[in-house]
Amino acid sequence: MKAANLHLELPTLTPKAEALRQEVRAFIAEERSSGRLPPPRRIGLGFDKDMSRRIAQKGWIGLTWPKQYGGQERSALERYVLNEELLAAAVPVGAHWVADRQSGPVLLKFGTDAQRRFYLPRIAAGELTFSIGMSEPESGSDLASLKARADKVDGGWRLNGRKIWTTNAHHAQYIIVLARTSVAEGSRHEGLSQLIVDMTSPGISISPIVSMAHEHDFNEVLFEDVFVGDDALIGKEGNGWNQVSAELAFERSGPERWLSSFRLISELVDVLGPDVRPSSLEELGRLISHLLSLRQLSMSVASMLQQGKSPNMEASIVKDLGTKFEQEAVRVVRNIVSAEDLIANGRAERLRALLIHAQQYAPAFTIRGGTNEILRGIIARGIGLR
Amino acid sequence: MSENRSFFRDTVERILTDTLDKADIDLAEEKRLLPAALHDALVENGITLMLVPEEQGGIGASLGDAAAILRLIGDAAAPGPILETMLGQKLLADAGFDLADRLVSLVFAETVALPAANATQWDEAALYDVPWAQAVDHILVIAREGDAARLIVTNAGDWTAAPLADAAGEPRDNLSAASITIRSASLPNYDALLRTAGILRGAQILGAIEWSFRRTVEYAGERKQFGREIGKFQAVQQMLAELAAHLLASASITEAAAEGQSPGLVAASRSRLGDAVDATITIAHQVHGAMGFSLEYALNSRTRRLMAWRDDYGSVLHWRRALAANFTELDRETFWLGVSDAGLAQAT
Repeated sequence: MKAANLHLELPTLTPKAEALRQEVRAFIAEERSSGRLPPPRRIGLGFDKDMSRRIAQKGWIGLTWPKQYGGQERSALERYVLNEELLAAAVPVGAHWVADRQSGPVLLKFGTDAQRRFYLPRIAAGELTFSIGMSEPESGSDLASLKARADKVDGGWRLNGRKIWTTNAHHAQYIIVLARTSVAEGSRHEGLSQLIVDMTSPGISISPIVSMAHEHDFNEVLFEDVFVGDDALIGKEGNGWNQVSAELAFERSGPERWLSSFRLISELVDVLGPDVRPSSLEELGRLISHLLSLRQLSMSVASMLQQGKSPNMEASIVKDLGTKFEQEAVRVVRNIVSAEDLIANGRAERLRALLIHAQQYAPAFTIRGGTNEILRGIIARGIGLR
Repeated sequence: MSENRSFFRDTVERILTDTLDKADIDLAEEKRLLPAALHDALVENGITLMLVPEEQGGIGASLGDAAAILRLIGDAAAPGPILETMLGQKLLADAGFDLADRLVSLVFAETVALPAANATQWDEAALYDVPWAQAVDHILVIAREGDAARLIVTNAGDWTAAPLADAAGEPRDNLSAASITIRSASLPNYDALLRTAGILRGAQILGAIEWSFRRTVEYAGERKQFGREIGKFQAVQQMLAELAAHLLASASITEAAAEGQSPGLVAASRSRLGDAVDATITIAHQVHGAMGFSLEYALNSRTRRLMAWRDDYGSVLHWRRALAANFTELDRETFWLGVSDAGLAQAT
């Protein structure tokens, strides 16, 4: 690109990646025909521990990790293909998603060999659900202001603090907590550390937070004098901020940022049929053009990751555009439903249910995993403005 | 990037640096004058024959190569029928006609009243919106005949022109003639030709967006208000981040369309570029403040071309309808197959 610091790769999918796509489609067809994958009535990632185990049996969790830790040593683009196929089919992957996407990679990058040997094969087997312990009641976008503390004690750490918006904490076996382990002397970003905490440890209490879509994904997690051993520290003490920044790049670049409401669009297309107003075609065409662009961009980011580059700004752009696309999709589907009179008098009941859920769910898209305003700050830094 | 493409790009970047400045761009508008040094260099270096096969006297470059060159042409806001000549020469070669010596203009005529298939004379002929009609040797008409196309070759001098211009001030005349001599030939696929032109114009659009983005980021780093560069203000940063995202997303699909050329990718590219154009014009001018609104400042040479080009060779809405029509017969399971299949086999 002839523009400051913005990078693109024209992605090419190998025959191996396309072969994997066919394997995933065969798996999905089998799951559907056996009744284990009913058409969803909500958008977002479903949670199904048994589904995660079946996916693990195919070798599809930790796909890119070294074989010695239970992985398959496949490429980032192959992982991309696997994920887009699972997400587009609305396979409930929530039980292993965070562990596969970020907890495992963080352990792989910063963890000790003992930590890798203990956790990674279990994640790859679909046995572990991880939660992310970053946000706090008083620390959202300003993550470095967090107050959770881990004080050094004999043989480990004593953890105190409160984490919030913790997805799946009520299902998780482990949570990776970002906590202050020493007083910041220079930058606030110093003195933070990542600790891996067993959710069954004494002193942890979990309270559900029900979303405005009447769902219980989030929790508040209270840590009161929770003891964790020295082997709970991930990476270097005080290096937590850098580790978390790397982790958030994994979190931001994936196809879940623009495919979590895909089922709403495919359901609309199903109901719509070919005989539609030109204005509806124009709205739908615009939406699909954004979808195809995001897909190209996502594959480009996966190509760069594959080459060992760090496309942090490009990943932030995928998330900024992807989440706005998902909100836009809800608006467009709603408009076309209205223009074409699709759901009146009990017609298209599933589309109606999905649309109601999607409208309630959509505000979260541009907030979770870093608000779009924070992402645009990262982009502005990338293009040299800060 | 292929070795050939790097060579073409280096050649054209050098030509643009050596032969084109702001005054040339302005003269094209004020006096309807082509920048002669630029066009001489493009013709002499074979750039206008890029798409003609080698055995017919051209270079035999790929459409992706031509798109890469037109991206630079758009970036530089180079006036003149460059796309039209590149594509026109290729169509002359495809039809088995002699190549033109220098420049040609070209117009897609979906609904124009045409002469009979074997006619050598076209009575009461009329064409609209013809680029640079008075600066070229030949004017080519691509007319729809069912799914196929007819290429009609006319001498530019035989027409009477009513001079008009596009938003960038480049000539786009309406032409008429009581009776003119024509040559014509059949070409296989009208929609495929429109897609080819759409890819090439899309590349030019992308280049003009790229220039506008670069210049606007630079400007935000230069212009000071309230004692600091305006690019230090979050409100300005948020706008430029949004523009960066439009650029990157439209570049990714436009590059893919130029390489893959499938109906779906081309339609998606031109639809996505439509939104990127709107955002570029709005944000680049907003960040520039009053400065960017002056005729003297170079930003308008790009943004006015974006206004002129946005709906060329298929309007943004045309491409959106064409894209969606590929999908409406799919169901909830096959819809994803349509999205993931880069080929998107059905013709638009």
